[in-house]
Amino acid sequence: MSKFLSYFILFLSSNLYADQDKTINIIVENCKSCHNLNIEVTKKIPDLNNLEKEEFIRLMTKYKNDKDNSVMNRISRVLTENDILKMADKIYGKR
Amino acid sequence: MVKDRFGRRKFISNIMTNLAFLFLANTFLLKRLNSKTRPKIVIVGLGIGGATCLQYLSKISNLVDIIVIEKQNEYQTGPLSNLVIGNILERKDICFKINKNKYKNVKFIFENVRRIDVEDKSVIFSKNLKVKFDFLILSPGISYKNDILQGYSVSDKKNIPHCWDGESNITQFKKRLRDLENNSKIIITSPDYPYRCPPAPYERASLIANYQRKLNKKVKILILDSKNSFTKQENFFREWQISFGDEIEWIPRSKGGKVVFYDQKKNLVKNSDGQVFKGDFIHIIPEQKAANIFSDSDLLNDGKDWCEINPLSFEVNRFKDIYAVGDSIDAWAMPKSAFSANSQAKVLAINLINKILEKDYIDPVFLNTCYSFSKEDRAFSISAWYRLNITKDKIISLGSNESSVYANNNDRKLEAQHAFGWYETMVNDLFM
Repeated sequence: MSKFLSYFILFLSSNLYADQDKTINIIVENCKSCHNLNIEVTKKIPDLNNLEKEEFIRLMTKYKNDKDNSVMNRISRVLTENDILKMADKIYGKR
Repeated sequence: MVKDRFGRRKFISNIMTNLAFLFLANTFLLKRLNSKTRPKIVIVGLGIGGATCLQYLSKISNLVDIIVIEKQNEYQTGPLSNLVIGNILERKDICFKINKNKYKNVKFIFENVRRIDVEDKSVIFSKNLKVKFDFLILSPGISYKNDILQGYSVSDKKNIPHCWDGESNITQFKKRLRDLENNSKIIITSPDYPYRCPPAPYERASLIANYQRKLNKKVKILILDSKNSFTKQENFFREWQISFGDEIEWIPRSKGGKVVFYDQKKNLVKNSDGQVFKGDFIHIIPEQKAANIFSDSDLLNDGKDWCEINPLSFEVNRFKDIYAVGDSIDAWAMPKSAFSANSQAKVLAINLINKILEKDYIDPVFLNTCYSFSKEDRAFSISAWYRLNITKDKIISLGSNESSVYANNNDRKLEAQHAFGWYETMVNDLFM
C-alpha cells in the first residue's frame, strides 16, 4: 500500500497535472515566451499561428515521445496527452 | 501546413475574445470598481519582470490606474549582454528606449526611488516626493554585497566593471579586454549561489576566449569559483575542450577557488588558503543580494538577502498589497533568470487581476529555459517546469534537463537560433 502511495505521489510530482482549465491557460502563457501568438516576430522559432490544430497536436506528441533531448522534447516531456489536447483547444479553439 | 486563412481566423477570434472580455469587464466590473476609487497599481522597475507585469496589467488599464517608476528611460537587457562583451552583438542591440506609446492610460515616472513607506502605502523618491499606491509591484533586480571580498568595492570606478546589470560600463569592459596583449592572463571570480543568471560567468569566459581568438590573441582564462559545481557544467567543459583547448581553466572552491582578497594596484587576488593569483585582467563578479530598496524599506526578513514571497500571489511575506518578482526574490527552486522573471511576472499579474476582480487565484505553473553560448553559432540550454508543492508555500521543480553533452554541430547551431528567437520574441513583446 505504501509502495503504491509513493508511486502515486511520484506520479503527481512528475507532471504538471494540469486538470484545471486555468492551469492550461498559464501553460500556454509560458509558451508565448518563445512562440508569439499574435504577430510573427521572428523566423528563428516556429510561429504557432501558422499551424493547424491537428498539426500542433501531432508535433507536440512527437516532441514528447522523441528521445533527442531537444528543447521542445525537454519541455513537452512532463505534459500529458490530455494537457496537449487542452493546450490545442486553448490556442486554436474547440472545434 | 502553413495556412494564411488560419492566421486571419485566429486574428478575428482574438479580437472577438478581447471585445467579449472588455464588454464583460465594462458591464459587470467597471460599475462595481467605479463605486470605489479606481485601484492604483505602482510598478517599480521596468526590467523583464516589471515589463511583463505591465504588459498583462495594461489589459485592464480601463479599470485601474497604473504608474510605472523607472530610474532611466532606456533599458539594457542582461540576456545577450555576454554577446556584446564577446563582440558578437553591439550594445545598441540589447538596449531599448522605454516605449510609452505602447501602453494607453499608463503614467511613467523616471526617478530614483529611495524607499517604500509601508504604513503610508507610498513610494518615496530621492527628493522626498511620493506616489501613493493600492498595490505595489517591486521588480528592481539585484544589488551587491560589499563586505565579502577584502579590498574590493563595487563602486570603485578603477576596477574592471562587473557588467552584471544594465548600469555598469559594458563599453569600458570591452575596451579593456580589446587592449589586452597576447598571452595575457584573465581571472574571473564566480560568486556563490544564489546570484543572477547562474551560467553567465562560464558563458562569459567562453565568449571572451572566442573574442580573443578572433583578435589573434592567445589568453589564459582562470575561473576561480566560490562553488564546487555549476549549471550546465558538463556542456561547458565539452565546449571548452572542442573550441578553446586548455585556454579556460576552472578551479572549484574545494581546490582553492574561493577568493577572499583583492589588490587592484598589484593586480592579484588571494584565495582562502592564502594562495596568490596574478592576472592582467581581473574580473570580479560580486556576491549578490536583493536590490537595496528592500533593505532600505525593511522588507526583508531578519538575516535574509532575498525577498520572501507567497508563491501563489507573489505578495511579500508580512506586507499586504506589496508584491515582488524577478531576481530580487527567493523563488526556491527557480533560478534567477530572465525567463524565470518573465514566467513569474505572468502569474503575479494574472493573480493580481484575479484579486482585483474578486476571482479565484489560478494554481500557477512556471517555465524556465536558459540558453548559454560558447560561440556565436553554438548554444545549449537547460529547461524545467515548476509548480507549487502540496501545501502551496513553495515553488518546486519538476526536474531540470539540459542539452546533450555530445550534441552535434547542427544541434548547437539550432539552439543558438532558438536563443536568438526567444530573445527577439521577448523584447518585441515587452519593449517594442
